[in-house]
Amino acid sequence: MFPNCSLGHCHIIIAVVLWSICVDSRKIRGISLSYKRFYRERKSFLCIDGSKMIPFDQVNDDYCDCVDGSDEPGTAACPNGRFYCTNLGYRSHYIPSSRVNDGICDCCDASDEYRSQTPCQNTCRNLGQRERAEVEGQMRVLGEGLRLKQQLIEEGVLTWREKQAQLRDLQRVSDDLQTQLDDLRKEEARRKEEADALREREIGARETADNSPTSHYRPESPISVFKELDSNRDGSITVDEVQAKLSPVQDEEHALSEDEAVALLGGVHRVDLSRFEETLWTSLRTGDNVTIKGRHGVPGSLADEDPNIKAAVSAAEKAAADLKRVEDAYETVYMEIRDLREKLSIDYGSEREFLFLHNQCFQLKVHEYIYELCPFSQVTQKSASGEVVSLGKWGSWAGSPENQYCQMRYESGEPCWQGPTRNTMVMLICGTETALRSVKEPSKCQYVMELQTPVSCQPALRQRGIHSEL
Amino acid sequence: MAAFVVSPLKMGPLLVLWLAVCLSGTWAVDRGNFKTCDQSAFCKRQRALKPGQSPYRALLETLELTNTKLTLQLINDNNKVRLLLELYRLQGNMTRVKINELKPLKPRFEVPDVLINDPPTEPLSLLSRDENGVVLSLGADSQRLIVSAKPFRLDIMEGREVLLSLNSRGLLAFEHLRIRKDTKVDPEGTENKEETEAANEPAEGEEVWGEKAKEDEKVEDGMWEETFKSHTDSKPNGPSSISLDFSLPGVENVYGIPEHADSLKLKATDGGDPYRLFNLDVFQYEVFNPMALYGAIPVMLSHSAQRTMGIFWLNAAETWVDISSNTAGKTVFGQMLDYVQGSSETPQTDVRWISESGIIDVFIMLGPTPADVFSQYASLTGTQAFPPLSALAYHQCRWNYNDQEDVAAVDQGFDDHDIPYDFIWLDIEHTDGKRYFTWDHHKFPQPKDMLQGLLDKRRKMVTIVDPHIKVDSSYKIHNEIRSKGFYVKSKDGGDYEGWCWPGNSGYPDFTNPEMRAWWASMFAYDQYEGSMENMYTWNDMNEPSVFNGPEVTMHKDALHGNWENRDLHNLYGLYVQRATAEGLIERSGGVERPFVLARAFFAGSQRYGAVWTGDNAAEWDHLKISIPMCLSLGLVGVSFCGADVGGFFKSPSTELLVRWYQTGAYQPFFRAHAHLDTPRREPWLFGPENTALIREAVRQRYALLPYWYQLFYHAHHSGQPVMRPLWVEYPQDTATFSMDDQFLLGRDLLVHPVTEEGARGVTAYLPGKGEVWFDVHTFQKHNGAQNLYIPVTISSIPVFQRGGSIIPRKARVRRSSSCMEHDPYTLFVALSPKRFAQGELYIDDGHTFNFDKQKQFIHRRFSFANNALSSRNLAPGSQFTTFSWVEKIVILGASKPSKATLKTPDGKESLLEFEFDASMSVLTLRKPGVNAGLDWTVVLQ
Repeated sequence: MFPNCSLGHCHIIIAVVLWSICVDSRKIRGISLSYKRFYRERKSFLCIDGSKMIPFDQVNDDYCDCVDGSDEPGTAACPNGRFYCTNLGYRSHYIPSSRVNDGICDCCDASDEYRSQTPCQNTCRNLGQRERAEVEGQMRVLGEGLRLKQQLIEEGVLTWREKQAQLRDLQRVSDDLQTQLDDLRKEEARRKEEADALREREIGARETADNSPTSHYRPESPISVFKELDSNRDGSITVDEVQAKLSPVQDEEHALSEDEAVALLGGVHRVDLSRFEETLWTSLRTGDNVTIKGRHGVPGSLADEDPNIKAAVSAAEKAAADLKRVEDAYETVYMEIRDLREKLSIDYGSEREFLFLHNQCFQLKVHEYIYELCPFSQVTQKSASGEVVSLGKWGSWAGSPENQYCQMRYESGEPCWQGPTRNTMVMLICGTETALRSVKEPSKCQYVMELQTPVSCQPALRQRGIHSEL
Repeated sequence: MAAFVVSPLKMGPLLVLWLAVCLSGTWAVDRGNFKTCDQSAFCKRQRALKPGQSPYRALLETLELTNTKLTLQLINDNNKVRLLLELYRLQGNMTRVKINELKPLKPRFEVPDVLINDPPTEPLSLLSRDENGVVLSLGADSQRLIVSAKPFRLDIMEGREVLLSLNSRGLLAFEHLRIRKDTKVDPEGTENKEETEAANEPAEGEEVWGEKAKEDEKVEDGMWEETFKSHTDSKPNGPSSISLDFSLPGVENVYGIPEHADSLKLKATDGGDPYRLFNLDVFQYEVFNPMALYGAIPVMLSHSAQRTMGIFWLNAAETWVDISSNTAGKTVFGQMLDYVQGSSETPQTDVRWISESGIIDVFIMLGPTPADVFSQYASLTGTQAFPPLSALAYHQCRWNYNDQEDVAAVDQGFDDHDIPYDFIWLDIEHTDGKRYFTWDHHKFPQPKDMLQGLLDKRRKMVTIVDPHIKVDSSYKIHNEIRSKGFYVKSKDGGDYEGWCWPGNSGYPDFTNPEMRAWWASMFAYDQYEGSMENMYTWNDMNEPSVFNGPEVTMHKDALHGNWENRDLHNLYGLYVQRATAEGLIERSGGVERPFVLARAFFAGSQRYGAVWTGDNAAEWDHLKISIPMCLSLGLVGVSFCGADVGGFFKSPSTELLVRWYQTGAYQPFFRAHAHLDTPRREPWLFGPENTALIREAVRQRYALLPYWYQLFYHAHHSGQPVMRPLWVEYPQDTATFSMDDQFLLGRDLLVHPVTEEGARGVTAYLPGKGEVWFDVHTFQKHNGAQNLYIPVTISSIPVFQRGGSIIPRKARVRRSSSCMEHDPYTLFVALSPKRFAQGELYIDDGHTFNFDKQKQFIHRRFSFANNALSSRNLAPGSQFTTFSWVEKIVILGASKPSKATLKTPDGKESLLEFEFDASMSVLTLRKPGVNAGLDWTVVLQ
């Protein structure tokens, strides 16, 4: 519109044309350029809401005539009035009329205190410079923040895909395991049945045989085994004989080494019957390590009696072990899938920009306390004595409808004495790095944190600039 | 703040354990923590004594009459112990009755420092005397004081009418000090006994004093030792209680004896506990019961349509007051009484006072009007301290504003939401570990920067300084008090210690003037680090509160010099506030008026600052009870009273919070406060509509500050209460006698706050036959002497201006009251049906004693009569200049003039523009523009 006259920028030619307006409007204190049209000097002034007509000399005469306060833009007379701080060099703004001549400098151009004893300095230039520097700084932060945000979004996309792939893989593994499980369950059941059946039969047979003195199922004595192993019948068992007749339980094809044989004989190369009973016989009885070649089971056991039973039992045990192993694997995979699904179900922002915060924790020490925020998980407070108190578990986004991603709510932390449970609001602010900036407890057990992070930088901020009447 | 419960995280484990044991029940007082009359040995003993023939007899032959007093001995015919009665006729229509033991074993406590001087006396003259008694003239109004000898009683009469009788029910009981004679006697007992008997040797031979011992032998439980819960009270002086009854013929209404969370009109106590006066920190007190609370003012007012009187029982020990109605037995008067007892239908109230120790020292204030009683009481104990104007504005408090940043943010919040406030408060958490006079250096590293920030906005701060002092050898305050021997002592002679906020604490002996002088000196700017002239003080916990003491207070056998806490318990809080107020005065070289808020108080506390109703709760009943609680205090001198807006414990509903702001805006001390455990509740946290409602309530307060200031000037000047029950101004209107859901501010504003949840209307009683009242918001006129139903919305605050009054307001509400200092006035002239109105305006600098010392003030009288409104000087000897002027005059109930002319003393005349609203009969005169300190007249034609 018009150049500001007080700056003396009126060109001579238009100055003539505008002279009267310039002079008139100069009198009207407390209005902005855009409102000058309401205050052209005539005989009378119409309240801007049209409610009343008053003589023009009652404008800014320190008495409120208009109910909308429009007749007193430059005084404190109207309770609902407002005063325009032109603030050349800084930002113009309105203040409530009640701040005109109240002894407190509100406008940086000091225009609000024209009749008070408080000396106000014009600080607009400094403020403007400072604000421009600040805004520039903020813009730099914002620019850098947005760049980092883009990176994090891209990383987020990759992570997301990775996680999705991981989920698919896990799903596949899970499916495989499921199939295996089905087979193994059947196999295990079958083997168990077989072994049980054999065993039952054997027990039945043995019960019959126990009543007959000719039964070859009588338990073996150390003497009979000693005789069996003593191939050269010299009344002692040597390393050679051990190597020839015994084999490891697991692998019958494998021969025992000399050292192993010596060890079985209690550290000597030759034993007599009594020494045999103390050493090798004990090993054979337990059946853990060695067995007589061509035999199954422990001497004296059912399996020892019948290699078929031994094989069936062993097969059933193996099947059960296999099943257990796969069941465990399935359980693990199932949990992983559940966790992953849960994580993937969280709202990480419109562009999943907050995904990167996942699995990270941020700490801040405030006096004697260390606060830790693990986004999408929990907030804790650790005291100097090491006591950890939960300040809330991840609840939800809690920002305004316009930007719900500017606040996080963590709830149901440790209950307060005589009060509700602790909870924490996390305010997300734009910055070039991700860090916890402040922690406060404005009300008891209600915490407020500020988390600075690039992903909270909004391009909209760029539009905020400095308006001035220049 | 306060109540003795904090988060266990902040307390030592021992205390937590103790609290856990102590606190059962969540949101109600634990009655078990506090004594009933039955659990208080002396109360039980005294109450067991029923009305009947008094054993006391006046020994008329001992009568001595001097210019100033009459003295007379009384004898108890049962135990032969003699008492000394002193009667004084005091200036201003008062009678003082003092009764002490004639020869006590050791001196009994007489309350010092409460009376502002030795009350000036007037001579008593003897009208007649015979063997049955004496009749004395009390001077004016044919008032006589009749002393009957057997049984002893006193009657004060006016003409043929008995105004008041003492001991008419025979309940005078004076437990004389004695030597312990039961088995638990200490070894020195025998020795003492001999001395005692020597001391009790009768002056005259006629009585055989030794015989009284028979009566002494009766030793009851609780006479020499008393245990309550885990606390044992050693009673080295044995029984020492006193009791006296007062009968008030023709009286049905008695008021006062705060502090109780009960109705304004006191209830009969038959069948229940008496009203108790014993300063206690009562955690989560309940409303509508006679339990003792934080403060005690032993003053009762009686009122009937004919007369208002007062009884001031000057005793600082634990006291119980029994009230009954029409239960007095038929009284028999001596022959000389020229009186015929009226019909038995005559209403009568009987009152009985019982105190644990001290003497009987009673001031009978004979009125006859309420205003007379206020003046009489003020002449004894002084008037309300005149607060700095800003202290009458809005206060924002919370336990706690956490740090400097928090303070700055709240301060800014008020500006952002355009809500005025004057004071922001810091509760105990601002200190370094509850060491008062210090700051938490993490949270408040630069207190002066913070205070300067507030000063720049012309605002102020209050920090809390409690009387319990952390026992900590690295704490300067503690070390000095200990080394000077200023702590209260335990019965064993060591420093008395108890638990309070800082943990183990000592309690300075504020009864010691040297201690008080030292304490006051601690408020000097160079002593109290980080303090500035815009920082004022809050004394909480000054009952004193002792978390682990009996009934959460000090042991009665703790020693203040030679006196037991038992003797002066209720006086401790007064001394704390006094020493603090003196400190604030001294730090400014005697120039600035102090502002000190205290929780505990006694008669005379009004001289030192403000009180509040303690730790209330965010409940509708607590909002309601704030009215009778402050009215009761106002009746006995303490005008500067308020309740925590919003309620201290619990979190208020938004509706309750808004209603509380609306009520608090019209009560003298207007402070929002909240417990540490409650969610934040600054006015803008409840949505824009509620912010607007609260803003409007606070703005109404600020606009009315000139009237509030004027009322406080009067309270200071003449002792008239600021907040008044209706009966004070309409003493003959029996409909008002028990009204306590509405009240008057001064004479001219009637307030009926909305205190019901979900209210759609209230019924206000507008008093005064032939009078009119104007709704201050709509200017609607209503007739007096009617119950008016007023439909209300959430924005309604029913307030009415009396027809016949003129009230000055400041319409330009700013950020703080200081910002409004030079602003112009709007006069609201409410015409009576006879088209008459009167009002006042008081102006001074708002914060110094210059109004008093140098008469620097303006006091104007506004009168509207004969269609002319004029302003004239009420204080010709004073001088003060103001920038303020008169911007608008609003005349309610006016008719339309043809012209309005402003005349000033210099002879100038000018026409004023005006507007006339015919529908409401409101005439608005535009911009008279005259200075508020000058003479002027506006003539309507």
